[in-house]
Amino acid sequence: MKKIIFAIAFLIASVITNAQITKVEIMATGLTCSMCSNAINKQLKTIAEVEKVDIDLNKNLFVVTLKADNKLTPKTFKDKVEKAGFFIGSMVLSVNFANQNVEDNKQIDNYIFIDTKAQTLNGLAKVKVLDKGYVTSKEYKKLAKTFVKYQTYAKGDEGIFHLKAI
Amino acid sequence: MKHFIVFILISFSQQTNAQELFVMTEPASNMPAGAIGVRTLNSFMYEKDGTLNYHIMPEIMWGITAKWMIHVQSFHSNRTTGGLKTEGGSLYAKYRFYSNDDMHKHFRMALYGRYSKNRADIHQDEIETMGHNTGYEGGLVATKLVNKVAISSSLSFEKALNNMPNYKFPTTQSNNATNYTLSVGKLMYPKNYTSLKQTNINLMCEFLGQRLNANGKSNLDIVPSLQFIIRSQARIDFAYRKQLYSTMTRTAPNGFMVKFEYTFFNVTK
Repeated sequence: MKKIIFAIAFLIASVITNAQITKVEIMATGLTCSMCSNAINKQLKTIAEVEKVDIDLNKNLFVVTLKADNKLTPKTFKDKVEKAGFFIGSMVLSVNFANQNVEDNKQIDNYIFIDTKAQTLNGLAKVKVLDKGYVTSKEYKKLAKTFVKYQTYAKGDEGIFHLKAI
Repeated sequence: MKHFIVFILISFSQQTNAQELFVMTEPASNMPAGAIGVRTLNSFMYEKDGTLNYHIMPEIMWGITAKWMIHVQSFHSNRTTGGLKTEGGSLYAKYRFYSNDDMHKHFRMALYGRYSKNRADIHQDEIETMGHNTGYEGGLVATKLVNKVAISSSLSFEKALNNMPNYKFPTTQSNNATNYTLSVGKLMYPKNYTSLKQTNINLMCEFLGQRLNANGKSNLDIVPSLQFIIRSQARIDFAYRKQLYSTMTRTAPNGFMVKFEYTFFNVTK
């Protein structure tokens, strides 16, 4: 039994190792000026796995390119933006998938796909993080009603991320 | 130490929206966690006899967490004879307890407190723990930012104690006051951002009022200012403080101010 659990855990882990986050697009809220953008920029650059940060100052959009073989989760970026004193309005991950079968309410390691049709993701695909703290507070209120059927969504476990393939 | 110097050299920045980095008041927003800011407020105030006195107030600020920050400040002036003298210092703390942010806007609230020591003689009805009185102040500030405009308002209670070494607070005066402020700032330039190196220009106007609780004497000042943000790093403010009305004695309410500020980013974890 132990062996089976270990084997399953290993399989899940290897699946995620195959799904590598290569880029994170963060729209930050609560700011308009370039100094605040700079504050977020400097926070993001303290992450060792960050290769570069491109900024659209008018949209408060931060495109964070990550180094290969990173093990970062969306929470790292959320914590950095909040340390700068701001919040995340939207977060889209570019993930390199290797023939990953996804379907609605399917959990893969710490990630659960919701509001997503069954499909096989292969190569670079974009997924949006839908959890509390990764969308605007207004949007979260709406989503909490829409996603009431997903029990894990309402729980708000900080280590579990709900993704939608876009 | 090496890291500290490197951080100082390569990475200073500021957190709050520039439109709400007011000259006379603090917004509800804080500095980023781990940042250390240094600033000086230079005031050239006209005494009643027409002479100009100079006050310099250097300040160090630290964002302990995203919600907590503290300032340590010292007060120096040449108001009395014998050149520039150190008159006192203060410790200030602010806690941001509410934040409702959305795209290009926010509404935030914070509680703040200040404790000051001062060794100047007590020469006016007005209570000012920032540079004149030993005492304390506690208040609430709310700041709303929408696109290029920020509006901030604060309400505080301020109490004066005896100044050092033995300047007793006059029993004939009110030793406590209610302060209220309203500050408005607007980003004038640039219309569209192209880089972090662009100079930003903000236009601001602040109203500062005080009412002495024991006798009802009050005053109201207006402070228009122009602010330049350079390379999203440095800040220079030019302001003029003008008394609109006063029913209390004040020795030098009107004058010019120049403020410089830098924030050294990611100095502490």
